[in-house]
Amino acid sequence: MDLQCSITLKNDLKEIENLVDIVNAACEVAKFDELTTDQMNLVLEEAVVNVINYGYPEGTEGDIVVDVEVGDGCLTFTVSDHGVAFDPTKHGDVDTTLPAEQRKIGGLGIFLMKSTMDDLSYERKDGQNILKLKKFYKH
Amino acid sequence: MTTTIQEQENQLVAIMEGRLDTAAAQQAQKDLEPLKACNGRDIVLDCAGLDYIASSGLRIFLNLLQVAKSQGSQVIIQGANDYLRQVFNMTGFSHLFVIK
Repeated sequence: MDLQCSITLKNDLKEIENLVDIVNAACEVAKFDELTTDQMNLVLEEAVVNVINYGYPEGTEGDIVVDVEVGDGCLTFTVSDHGVAFDPTKHGDVDTTLPAEQRKIGGLGIFLMKSTMDDLSYERKDGQNILKLKKFYKH
Repeated sequence: MTTTIQEQENQLVAIMEGRLDTAAAQQAQKDLEPLKACNGRDIVLDCAGLDYIASSGLRIFLNLLQVAKSQGSQVIIQGANDYLRQVFNMTGFSHLFVIK
């Protein structure tokens, strides 16, 4: 591995800003350009925000563990939590051709994760949601 | 991030600067609320200083557009950087808004 790091966040939206430095460092190692780096920030934010907003019952504190790995031509984000079982890979189908009046407000975050990453996989294991998001690169 | 609203003769302009991430979205929604009283005047979202947006920000834009259109107003997004443009393209927002 060229880079491997991990951060544990509370389910609080204020924690999001703590992801930026890690994502930027990982993208630098993967030699991603500025545009792709912004997209990787978006994807990880959306994945973590889903857990913050829906993973734990309102008013309950919970942890979210984010692992970042870069190496062998792949950047991998792994987001793990002990919240309610939720498989994002089964959601986020958005019809982007609809006129404004018919467009729904929800689902865009997961849609953007799916559209941006090369591979998404989910498993529920030992009471945990484990979401893996991969972006491949050639250097 | 900061949002400044300017009332001009025939349009309302919101100058948005910084990062519109999910943590900033709630405040941004409040700051943009006055635009909903557009009453037929066009709305310009000046994004030249906006570095980043997440889906929470896109939802605010879409909600604003829906309210504006029902009053016969257009929403124009101007000065968007490459990242914003790509997000607008991916989500089909580039067909919904006037992008300048």
